[in-house]
Amino acid sequence: MDHRPFEDWLLDNQELNSEQKHQLNTHLRTCSSCTSIAELNLALNSVNEVAPAAGFSDRFQVRLAAKKQALRRRNLWGFIILTLSALSILTWVAWPILKDLILSPVNLLATWISSLASFWAAIQAITRAGEVLFKVVPTFVPTYVWMAILIAAGGWSLVWVLSLIKFTNVTQGV
Amino acid sequence: MTDEKTWIIQAQHGNDDAFTNLVEAYQKPVHNLCYRMLGEMEAAEDAAQETFLKAYQNLARYDRERSFATWLLSIAAHHCIDKLRRRRFNAVSIDEDEEGQTDIPDRSAPDPESEIMKNQQRERLQLSLQSLDPTDRAAVVMRYWQDCSEVEIAQALKLTVPAVKSRLHRARVELAELWEEKPARMRHERKPYGSPAF
Repeated sequence: MDHRPFEDWLLDNQELNSEQKHQLNTHLRTCSSCTSIAELNLALNSVNEVAPAAGFSDRFQVRLAAKKQALRRRNLWGFIILTLSALSILTWVAWPILKDLILSPVNLLATWISSLASFWAAIQAITRAGEVLFKVVPTFVPTYVWMAILIAAGGWSLVWVLSLIKFTNVTQGV
Repeated sequence: MTDEKTWIIQAQHGNDDAFTNLVEAYQKPVHNLCYRMLGEMEAAEDAAQETFLKAYQNLARYDRERSFATWLLSIAAHHCIDKLRRRRFNAVSIDEDEEGQTDIPDRSAPDPESEIMKNQQRERLQLSLQSLDPTDRAAVVMRYWQDCSEVEIAQALKLTVPAVKSRLHRARVELAELWEEKPARMRHERKPYGSPAF
Protein backbone atom coordinates (compact mmCIF):
# COMPACT_ATOMS: atom_id res chain seq x y z
CA MET A 1 0.00 0.00 0.00
CA ASP A 2 1.25 3.49 -0.81
CA HIS A 3 1.45 5.52 2.40
CA ARG A 4 2.54 8.78 0.80
CA PRO A 5 1.77 11.57 1.46
CA PHE A 6 -0.29 10.46 4.49
CA GLU A 7 2.66 9.14 6.45
CA ASP A 8 4.59 12.40 5.97
CA TRP A 9 1.55 14.46 6.99
CA LEU A 10 1.26 12.49 10.21
CA LEU A 11 4.95 12.18 11.01
CA ASP A 12 5.64 15.87 10.47
CA ASN A 13 2.43 17.03 12.19
CA GLN A 14 1.48 19.10 9.17
CA GLU A 15 -1.54 21.41 9.15
CA LEU A 16 -4.09 20.02 6.67
CA ASN A 17 -6.95 21.59 4.75
CA SER A 18 -10.41 19.98 4.73
CA GLU A 19 -9.77 18.08 1.47
CA GLN A 20 -6.51 16.63 2.82
CA LYS A 21 -8.24 15.68 6.08
CA HIS A 22 -10.91 13.83 4.11
CA GLN A 23 -8.27 11.96 2.06
CA LEU A 24 -6.38 11.07 5.23
CA ASN A 25 -9.51 9.77 6.97
CA THR A 26 -10.31 7.58 3.96
CA HIS A 27 -6.75 6.21 3.94
CA LEU A 28 -6.78 5.54 7.69
CA ARG A 29 -9.84 3.30 7.37
CA THR A 30 -7.79 0.84 5.34
CA CYS A 31 -4.21 1.35 6.59
CA SER A 32 -3.19 -0.04 9.97
CA SER A 33 0.35 1.38 9.70
CA CYS A 34 -0.83 4.99 9.32
CA THR A 35 -3.52 4.38 11.93
CA SER A 36 -0.75 3.52 14.37
CA ILE A 37 0.99 6.81 13.65
CA ALA A 38 -2.28 8.68 14.10
CA GLU A 39 -2.88 6.91 17.41
CA LEU A 40 0.65 7.73 18.49
CA ASN A 41 0.04 11.38 17.65
CA LEU A 42 -3.14 11.25 19.71
CA ALA A 43 -1.24 9.76 22.65
CA LEU A 44 1.61 12.28 22.32
CA ASN A 45 -0.79 15.21 22.17
CA SER A 46 -2.76 14.16 25.23
CA VAL A 47 0.13 13.48 27.62
CA ASN A 48 0.15 14.54 31.27
CA GLU A 49 3.00 15.98 33.30
CA VAL A 50 4.19 13.87 36.22
CA ALA A 51 4.50 16.00 39.36
CA PRO A 52 7.07 15.20 42.06
CA ALA A 53 5.98 13.98 45.48
CA ALA A 54 4.83 16.73 47.86
CA GLY A 55 7.61 18.62 49.66
CA PHE A 56 10.00 18.77 46.70
CA SER A 57 11.28 22.27 47.52
CA ASP A 58 11.77 21.32 51.20
CA ARG A 59 13.87 18.35 50.15
CA PHE A 60 15.79 20.69 47.84
CA GLN A 61 16.50 23.04 50.78
CA VAL A 62 17.91 20.11 52.77
CA ARG A 63 20.06 18.99 49.83
CA LEU A 64 21.27 22.55 49.20
CA ALA A 65 22.22 23.00 52.86
CA ALA A 66 24.14 19.69 52.81
CA LYS A 67 25.90 20.69 49.60
CA LYS A 68 26.88 24.09 51.05
CA GLN A 69 28.22 22.45 54.19
CA ALA A 70 30.21 19.93 52.18
CA LEU A 71 31.60 22.79 50.07
CA ARG A 72 32.59 24.77 53.19
CA ARG A 73 34.29 21.69 54.64
CA ARG A 74 36.11 21.03 51.38
CA ASN A 75 37.26 24.66 51.19
CA LEU A 76 38.52 24.55 54.79
CA TRP A 77 40.49 21.36 54.19
CA GLY A 78 41.78 22.81 50.92
CA PHE A 79 42.98 25.93 52.75
CA ILE A 80 44.68 23.90 55.50
CA ILE A 81 46.42 21.57 53.02
CA LEU A 82 47.51 24.50 50.84
CA THR A 83 48.88 26.46 53.79
CA LEU A 84 50.78 23.47 55.14
CA SER A 85 52.19 22.68 51.70
CA ALA A 86 53.25 26.31 51.18
CA LEU A 87 54.91 26.41 54.61
CA SER A 88 56.74 23.14 53.94
CA ILE A 89 58.05 24.35 50.56
CA LEU A 90 59.05 27.71 52.02
CA THR A 91 60.93 26.01 54.87
CA TRP A 92 62.67 23.65 52.43
CA VAL A 93 63.72 26.54 50.13
CA ALA A 94 64.80 28.83 52.98
CA TRP A 95 66.50 26.12 54.99
CA PRO A 96 70.13 27.21 54.16
CA ILE A 97 69.35 30.76 55.29
CA LEU A 98 67.46 29.61 58.33
CA LYS A 99 70.36 27.32 59.24
CA ASP A 100 72.84 30.25 59.01
CA LEU A 101 70.48 32.44 61.00
CA ILE A 102 70.34 29.87 63.74
CA LEU A 103 74.10 29.11 63.73
CA SER A 104 75.57 32.66 63.27
CA PRO A 105 72.96 35.43 63.28
CA VAL A 106 75.47 38.35 63.39
CA ASN A 107 77.30 37.29 60.20
CA LEU A 108 74.03 36.75 58.36
CA LEU A 109 72.70 40.15 59.44
CA ALA A 110 75.88 41.87 58.21
CA THR A 111 75.58 40.10 54.82
CA TRP A 112 71.98 41.18 54.48
CA ILE A 113 72.74 44.83 55.28
CA SER A 114 75.59 44.82 52.75
CA SER A 115 73.28 43.31 50.09
CA LEU A 116 70.61 45.91 50.82
CA ALA A 117 73.12 48.75 50.50
CA SER A 118 74.33 47.41 47.12
CA PHE A 119 70.75 47.08 45.91
CA TRP A 120 69.93 50.65 46.97
CA ALA A 121 73.02 52.00 45.18
CA ALA A 122 72.02 50.12 41.99
CA ILE A 123 68.49 51.55 42.10
CA GLN A 124 69.85 55.10 42.48
CA ALA A 125 72.23 54.66 39.53
CA ILE A 126 69.41 53.31 37.30
CA THR A 127 67.15 56.24 38.31
CA ARG A 128 69.80 58.79 37.41
CA ALA A 129 70.46 57.13 34.06
CA GLY A 130 66.71 57.09 33.38
CA GLU A 131 66.37 60.79 34.16
CA VAL A 132 69.16 61.62 31.70
CA LEU A 133 67.60 59.47 28.96
CA PHE A 134 64.16 60.97 29.60
CA LYS A 135 65.57 64.45 28.99
CA VAL A 136 67.72 63.58 25.97
CA VAL A 137 65.68 61.04 23.93
CA PRO A 138 62.56 63.21 23.19
CA THR A 139 64.76 65.78 21.42
CA PHE A 140 65.96 63.11 18.95
CA VAL A 141 62.58 61.42 18.23
CA PRO A 142 60.14 63.37 15.98
CA THR A 143 56.50 63.95 17.08
CA TYR A 144 54.97 61.66 14.42
CA VAL A 145 56.96 58.70 15.77
CA TRP A 146 55.51 59.30 19.24
CA MET A 147 52.02 59.42 17.67
CA ALA A 148 52.65 56.17 15.81
CA ILE A 149 53.82 54.51 19.06
CA LEU A 150 50.72 55.75 20.91
CA ILE A 151 48.36 54.51 18.12
CA ALA A 152 50.09 51.12 18.04
CA ALA A 153 49.76 50.80 21.82
CA GLY A 154 46.07 51.74 21.62
CA GLY A 155 45.43 49.18 18.88
CA TRP A 156 47.27 46.51 20.79
CA SER A 157 45.19 47.22 23.92
CA LEU A 158 41.98 47.05 21.86
CA VAL A 159 42.96 43.63 20.45
CA TRP A 160 43.62 42.42 24.00
CA VAL A 161 40.29 43.68 25.32
CA LEU A 162 38.33 42.17 22.40
CA SER A 163 40.14 38.84 22.79
CA LEU A 164 39.35 38.76 26.51
CA ILE A 165 35.66 39.54 25.84
CA LYS A 166 35.50 36.79 23.21
CA PHE A 167 37.15 34.12 25.33
CA THR A 168 35.25 34.94 28.53
CA ASN A 169 31.87 34.94 26.79
CA VAL A 170 30.10 31.95 28.41
CA THR A 171 27.52 29.99 26.44
CA GLN A 172 24.22 29.04 28.10
CA GLY A 173 23.35 25.56 29.27
CA VAL A 174 25.40 23.20 31.32
CA MET B 1 8.87 43.23 35.58
CA THR B 2 7.39 39.74 36.09
CA ASP B 3 7.69 37.79 39.34
CA GLU B 4 9.99 35.32 37.63
CA LYS B 5 12.44 38.03 36.48
CA THR B 6 12.42 39.54 39.97
CA TRP B 7 13.12 36.16 41.58
CA ILE B 8 15.94 35.50 39.12
CA ILE B 9 17.60 38.85 39.84
CA GLN B 10 17.18 38.37 43.59
CA ALA B 11 18.49 34.80 43.39
CA GLN B 12 21.49 35.99 41.37
CA HIS B 13 22.21 38.39 44.23
CA GLY B 14 22.23 35.48 46.69
CA ASN B 15 18.62 35.45 47.89
CA ASP B 16 17.84 31.77 48.62
CA ASP B 17 14.12 32.41 49.18
CA ALA B 18 13.84 33.80 45.65
CA PHE B 19 15.51 30.67 44.31
CA THR B 20 13.06 28.54 46.30
CA ASN B 21 10.23 30.38 44.51
CA LEU B 22 11.83 29.39 41.20
CA VAL B 23 12.06 25.77 42.40
CA GLU B 24 8.36 25.84 43.32
CA ALA B 25 7.47 27.28 39.93
CA TYR B 26 9.49 24.86 37.82
CA GLN B 27 9.55 21.64 39.88
CA LYS B 28 6.80 20.01 37.82
CA PRO B 29 8.20 20.50 34.28
CA VAL B 30 11.73 19.64 35.41
CA HIS B 31 10.60 16.54 37.29
CA ASN B 32 8.40 15.47 34.38
CA LEU B 33 11.29 15.79 31.91
CA CYS B 34 13.52 13.74 34.21
CA TYR B 35 10.82 11.10 34.67
CA ARG B 36 10.18 10.81 30.93
CA MET B 37 13.92 10.58 30.31
CA LEU B 38 14.82 8.11 33.06
CA GLY B 39 11.55 6.19 33.44
CA GLU B 40 11.73 5.86 37.24
CA MET B 41 10.26 8.13 39.88
CA GLU B 42 13.18 7.79 42.29
CA ALA B 43 15.78 8.52 39.62
CA ALA B 44 13.63 11.39 38.34
CA GLU B 45 13.43 12.97 41.82
CA ASP B 46 17.20 12.72 42.20
CA ALA B 47 17.84 14.12 38.72
CA ALA B 48 15.39 16.99 39.26
CA GLN B 49 17.04 17.89 42.57
CA GLU B 50 20.47 17.77 40.92
CA THR B 51 19.18 19.97 38.10
CA PHE B 52 18.13 22.67 40.56
CA LEU B 53 21.46 22.38 42.39
CA LYS B 54 23.34 22.85 39.12
CA ALA B 55 21.10 25.79 38.26
CA TYR B 56 21.79 27.31 41.69
CA GLN B 57 25.54 26.92 41.23
CA ASN B 58 25.52 28.34 37.70
CA LEU B 59 22.91 31.04 38.19
CA ALA B 60 25.49 33.82 37.77
CA ARG B 61 26.12 32.54 34.22
CA TYR B 62 22.44 32.65 33.26
CA ASP B 63 21.71 35.25 30.57
CA ARG B 64 18.46 37.02 31.53
CA GLU B 65 17.70 37.71 27.87
CA ARG B 66 16.98 34.01 27.39
CA SER B 67 14.06 31.92 28.63
CA PHE B 68 14.69 30.63 32.14
CA ALA B 69 12.50 27.57 31.50
CA THR B 70 14.56 26.60 28.44
CA TRP B 71 17.79 27.09 30.38
CA LEU B 72 16.54 24.93 33.23
CA LEU B 73 15.21 22.21 30.91
CA SER B 74 18.54 22.27 29.08
CA ILE B 75 20.35 21.51 32.35
CA ALA B 76 17.86 18.74 33.15
CA ALA B 77 18.06 17.20 29.68
CA HIS B 78 21.87 17.16 29.64
CA HIS B 79 21.97 15.74 33.16
CA CYS B 80 19.61 12.91 32.18
CA ILE B 81 21.41 12.24 28.88
CA ASP B 82 24.71 11.93 30.79
CA LYS B 83 23.07 9.65 33.33
CA LEU B 84 21.56 7.43 30.63
CA ARG B 85 24.86 7.19 28.78
CA ARG B 86 26.62 6.18 31.95
CA ARG B 87 24.26 3.49 33.07
CA ARG B 88 23.87 0.22 31.24
CA PHE B 89 20.54 -0.47 29.68
CA ASN B 90 18.27 -2.35 32.06
CA ALA B 91 14.65 -3.20 31.87
CA VAL B 92 12.77 -0.10 32.97
CA SER B 93 10.41 -0.41 35.90
CA ILE B 94 6.94 0.88 35.31
CA ASP B 95 5.77 -0.19 38.73
CA GLU B 96 5.95 3.40 39.85
CA ASP B 97 3.11 5.16 38.18
CA GLU B 98 2.31 8.67 37.17
CA GLU B 99 1.29 10.16 40.49
CA GLY B 100 0.56 6.59 41.60
CA GLN B 101 -2.53 6.25 39.44
CA THR B 102 -1.45 4.68 36.19
CA ASP B 103 -2.72 1.17 36.70
CA ILE B 104 -5.61 1.90 39.00
CA PRO B 105 -8.73 2.90 37.06
CA ASP B 106 -10.71 5.78 38.44
CA ARG B 107 -13.93 4.11 39.64
CA SER B 108 -15.69 7.44 39.90
CA ALA B 109 -14.93 8.27 36.27
CA PRO B 110 -17.89 7.99 33.90
CA ASP B 111 -16.10 5.34 31.81
CA PRO B 112 -13.65 3.18 33.82
CA GLU B 113 -12.77 1.13 30.77
CA SER B 114 -11.73 4.26 28.93
CA GLU B 115 -9.58 5.21 31.94
CA ILE B 116 -7.89 1.82 31.79
CA MET B 117 -7.28 2.31 28.07
CA LYS B 118 -5.73 5.72 28.71
CA ASN B 119 -3.49 4.32 31.42
CA GLN B 120 -2.39 1.50 29.12
CA GLN B 121 -1.62 4.06 26.43
CA ARG B 122 0.46 6.11 28.87
CA GLU B 123 2.39 3.03 29.95
CA ARG B 124 2.98 2.01 26.38
CA LEU B 125 4.15 5.48 25.44
CA GLN B 126 6.52 5.60 28.40
CA LEU B 127 7.96 2.20 27.47
CA SER B 128 8.32 3.23 23.85
CA LEU B 129 10.13 6.41 24.90
CA GLN B 130 12.75 4.34 26.72
CA SER B 131 13.81 2.74 23.45
CA LEU B 132 14.74 6.09 21.85
CA ASP B 133 18.22 7.58 21.76
CA PRO B 134 18.57 9.87 24.85
CA THR B 135 18.86 13.08 22.81
CA ASP B 136 15.89 12.13 20.60
CA ARG B 137 13.93 11.32 23.75
CA ALA B 138 14.76 14.72 25.25
CA ALA B 139 13.60 16.40 22.04
CA VAL B 140 10.30 14.47 22.06
CA VAL B 141 9.63 15.22 25.74
CA MET B 142 10.42 18.90 25.31
CA ARG B 143 8.22 19.08 22.22
CA TYR B 144 5.14 17.24 23.53
CA TRP B 145 5.20 17.58 27.31
CA GLN B 146 6.75 21.04 27.67
CA ASP B 147 5.38 22.55 24.43
CA CYS B 148 8.81 23.85 23.47
CA SER B 149 9.32 25.16 19.95
CA GLU B 150 11.94 23.62 17.69
CA VAL B 151 14.13 26.71 18.22
CA GLU B 152 13.91 26.31 22.01
CA ILE B 153 14.73 22.60 21.76
CA ALA B 154 17.71 23.43 19.54
CA GLN B 155 18.97 25.96 22.09
CA ALA B 156 18.45 23.60 25.01
CA LEU B 157 20.09 20.57 23.39
CA LYS B 158 22.78 22.57 21.58
CA LEU B 159 21.60 21.38 18.17
CA THR B 160 20.65 23.16 14.97
CA VAL B 161 16.94 23.59 14.13
CA PRO B 162 17.17 21.23 11.10
CA ALA B 163 18.84 18.65 13.36
CA VAL B 164 15.96 18.95 15.85
CA LYS B 165 13.41 18.51 13.03
CA SER B 166 15.26 15.48 11.77
CA ARG B 167 15.54 13.97 15.26
CA LEU B 168 11.83 14.54 15.96
CA HIS B 169 10.89 12.93 12.65
CA ARG B 170 13.15 9.92 13.30
CA ALA B 171 11.81 9.57 16.84
CA ARG B 172 8.20 9.62 15.62
CA VAL B 173 9.00 6.92 13.04
CA GLU B 174 10.58 4.74 15.74
CA LEU B 175 7.72 5.34 18.15
CA ALA B 176 5.15 4.60 15.45
CA GLU B 177 6.86 1.29 14.68
CA LEU B 178 6.75 0.34 18.35
CA TRP B 179 3.18 1.57 18.63
CA GLU B 180 2.10 -0.71 15.79
CA GLU B 181 3.19 -3.75 17.81
CA LYS B 182 0.69 -2.95 20.58
CA PRO B 183 -2.04 -5.46 21.54
CA ALA B 184 -5.00 -5.61 19.19
CA ARG B 185 -7.42 -4.96 22.02
CA MET B 186 -6.01 -1.47 22.48
CA ARG B 187 -6.58 -0.70 18.84
CA HIS B 188 -10.12 -2.00 19.03
CA GLU B 189 -11.55 1.20 20.55
CA ARG B 190 -9.93 3.82 18.39
CA LYS B 191 -10.43 7.41 19.46
CA PRO B 192 -10.96 10.39 17.13
CA TYR B 193 -7.57 11.43 15.81
CA GLY B 194 -5.96 14.07 17.97
CA SER B 195 -2.99 14.96 15.84
CA PRO B 196 -2.37 18.62 15.05
CA ALA B 197 -2.74 17.39 11.47
CA PHE B 198 -6.51 17.33 12.05
